[in-house]
Amino acid sequence: MAKKNRILGGAGEKVLLTGNEAIARGCLEAGVVVATAYPGTPATTILEKLGDVATELGFHAEFSVNEAVAFEVSAGAAMSGVRSLMATKMLGVNLIADPLTVISVTGVRGGLVIITADDPQQFSSQNAEDTRFFGMLAKVPVLEPVDGQEAKDMTRYAFELSEELELPVFLRITPRICHSSFPIELGEIHPPKRNGKFLRDPKRFVMISTFSRPRQKILNEKIAKAGIIADTNPWNRTFNFQNGRAVDDNKAYNTFGIIASGMTFPYVEEVLEVTKVNARVLKLATTYPLPQNLVTEFLREMDQVLIVEENDGVTELLTRALAQRKRLNVRIMGKDEGLIPMSGELNPDLVGDALEKLFGVQFREELTEPYIKAEKELVSQRVPALCSGCPHRASYYSIKEALRRKGMGGSIMGDRGCYNQGAYAPLEGIDSCICMGASIAMASGISHSGTNEPVLSVIGDGTFFHSGIPSLLNAVHNRSNIVSLIFDNSITAMTGHQVNPGTGVNLMGVHTGNANLKKIVEACGVERVQVINAFDTKRLIDAVMEEIDQPGPSVIISRSPCALVVERNVRQRKLKMYRAEVDLDKCIGCKVCMKKIGCPAFGWGDDPKPHLEILPHCNGCGLCVEMCPFGAISVPEKREGALGISVKPREVRE
Amino acid sequence: MNIILSGVGGNGVVLTTRIIAEAAVMEGINVRVGEVHGLAMRGGTVVSHLRLGHDAKGVLIPQRMGDMMLSFEPLEAIRQLKLLKRGAKVIINNDPYIGVDAHLGLSRYPDICRVLEQIQETQDLVDVPATHLAVEAGGVVMTNVVMLGTLSASRELPIRREVLLEAIKSRVPPHTIDKNIVAFELGEKAFQEWESSRACQVKQ
Repeated sequence: MAKKNRILGGAGEKVLLTGNEAIARGCLEAGVVVATAYPGTPATTILEKLGDVATELGFHAEFSVNEAVAFEVSAGAAMSGVRSLMATKMLGVNLIADPLTVISVTGVRGGLVIITADDPQQFSSQNAEDTRFFGMLAKVPVLEPVDGQEAKDMTRYAFELSEELELPVFLRITPRICHSSFPIELGEIHPPKRNGKFLRDPKRFVMISTFSRPRQKILNEKIAKAGIIADTNPWNRTFNFQNGRAVDDNKAYNTFGIIASGMTFPYVEEVLEVTKVNARVLKLATTYPLPQNLVTEFLREMDQVLIVEENDGVTELLTRALAQRKRLNVRIMGKDEGLIPMSGELNPDLVGDALEKLFGVQFREELTEPYIKAEKELVSQRVPALCSGCPHRASYYSIKEALRRKGMGGSIMGDRGCYNQGAYAPLEGIDSCICMGASIAMASGISHSGTNEPVLSVIGDGTFFHSGIPSLLNAVHNRSNIVSLIFDNSITAMTGHQVNPGTGVNLMGVHTGNANLKKIVEACGVERVQVINAFDTKRLIDAVMEEIDQPGPSVIISRSPCALVVERNVRQRKLKMYRAEVDLDKCIGCKVCMKKIGCPAFGWGDDPKPHLEILPHCNGCGLCVEMCPFGAISVPEKREGALGISVKPREVRE
Repeated sequence: MNIILSGVGGNGVVLTTRIIAEAAVMEGINVRVGEVHGLAMRGGTVVSHLRLGHDAKGVLIPQRMGDMMLSFEPLEAIRQLKLLKRGAKVIINNDPYIGVDAHLGLSRYPDICRVLEQIQETQDLVDVPATHLAVEAGGVVMTNVVMLGTLSASRELPIRREVLLEAIKSRVPPHTIDKNIVAFELGEKAFQEWESSRACQVKQ
């Protein structure tokens, strides 16, 4: 279907876009030349959208092999004088910290913008760190939009600011901006100026200490200048709320103030409209560095100020420091005083609670008895699971089964990817999940700790390319006694199937050849490498048992495509989708299948007796067939010996 | 106007929200859509907050401020109940998704009658066999279009029927448009039947 790409609408049109789409559009309006990301973040769609139009508009977009590489690619482009973007989330910022803290010293020539989607609610993140600290650490300005329109417009502006300062610029958003939709008024798309040229300037770009030292002064001057520019940033605005209505004037007739940034600003607006608390509000778009004059003038008129922000109390910290330096007698409140929660995302009710504590006004509608009862008696959290037909389920089952048969205990160090869903019962396939690439090295550490138990690690193909390779090299070099499993589905599946070097195609749709996982592993010096179909559980169990007995590092590549990719292929090619069936005469309702593999396509029936039922979204991978002790499950018509979901052409369904 | 859409991954909550939001934009109505993606995999909890009107600013609906709910799954309706005003309409597809976690005792799936009774205690419940009607129209995938038909017939939305249909047509594969219109009409009919049955109860 050749649907019109929504981010390509004409200037002046108003269209419904997600925050990510709006940012992608902002990049087009800025004439971005190079855009990069590592997928698997709330900001991933920005690059997907840019990738869709990159060839047509004549710029370069890529999913890079990891965040540090992505950032360095973008930084190289920006040093060559063109506009360049990198999109990530806060945990990706950890990876770019090394180049970032030096590239702020060298500075850039073309605009370099880093989008970071901080995840205060931890919808899909291991921690809830605040990127603004990295802004302070590297002396890089941080901008924060309050909605989709600002996200688009500020993206464009961020490039201009970056060029004015010759510094990278952070645009900090949250998943609530990324995935929420807003009507967006579009601006003019500017054709990318792909005319980069790296001009040699060793004293600026060769950061050996003698050249770097004098540049610290330049960096300090730049960030000071950023604070002065922030004073006139048009998105920093003050409002007076009188009797529930915003008055856009500069008179200071309120002595209670609120400073709000990002998604919290509309929450503050809503709460003031309803509670009719009179307040002067500073909507802060430049959270680092603070616009010093603007904030000083704001504080000067106030008796007390509430700071409303997500993640950590960074604005609170900076505002307190400023008030102290300017000797202002104002009470500054926020997270420190417990008015704003220290963790978790904010919402209008939580902002309302703060005003209730301060003024006794009520915003939050009370939950009355029936609602409390419903919540308490009927609501239960669903336990996430791997998708039906997921090859990781077969791999985890095999690993656990191998350890069970060995009877020696053992630990399985996990990594980051959708295979994390295997942590839940009943699979309970991993014992750790720390960060990208940690599995192999942590397993190595355990193996050197003196343990007698087998030490295994599990990593996906995308994560292995991302940061598993150095750990594997290290395991060989330092002779760790580990069994490393690489779950290879040849795609980065977690955020909806983004390409990686093993996929064979890049984001621009160019066939660039598959990175050969087995050869890479061998080239690292691993002597024992096996590639096994993930659904061939017998071979996989045997292989794991065998490798546990072998000294030194060994690798098992457990390979099968992502079930959702196969399903899509089956649909598009109009092939037959097989489904498992239950023989009611044989099923005794023992639930052994469920307890072993917990597939989400398992349902339950009571008529005429309790039995397993297969739900319509079964895709016939066949793993359950071998789980049943009574042979009650089969996948009829399926080709003999087929393992996993078959994509062999059969008759067209209906 | 604040609308909550809830269901499990695979129900089409996100797409349905997008259709209503796009129809609202066609009507010149200001819109905010709050969603969370990430690990909204098949069978996981999904909720969208859809806010219509000039006062729609933030993307999240505060507690007990929802004007109505469209729920594709009973447990997911009760999970979001605290977002609704008392008396707000709840259009629900009465087809539970009981995950394998519940069969294993890792979570519990409440008694479906209790769920509906509980919702009825505070809300105006319209319960629709949307999955069955979708199958009747030609496929389970059209469950959300059945629900949109019911929503449209309920006259709660400030969006005209033709405009909503237009938004649906622009979002479904072209060769399925006719089937989708049938699904939409079945949803409308379901609402009319619910309304007339209620009228009978009132008379009695």
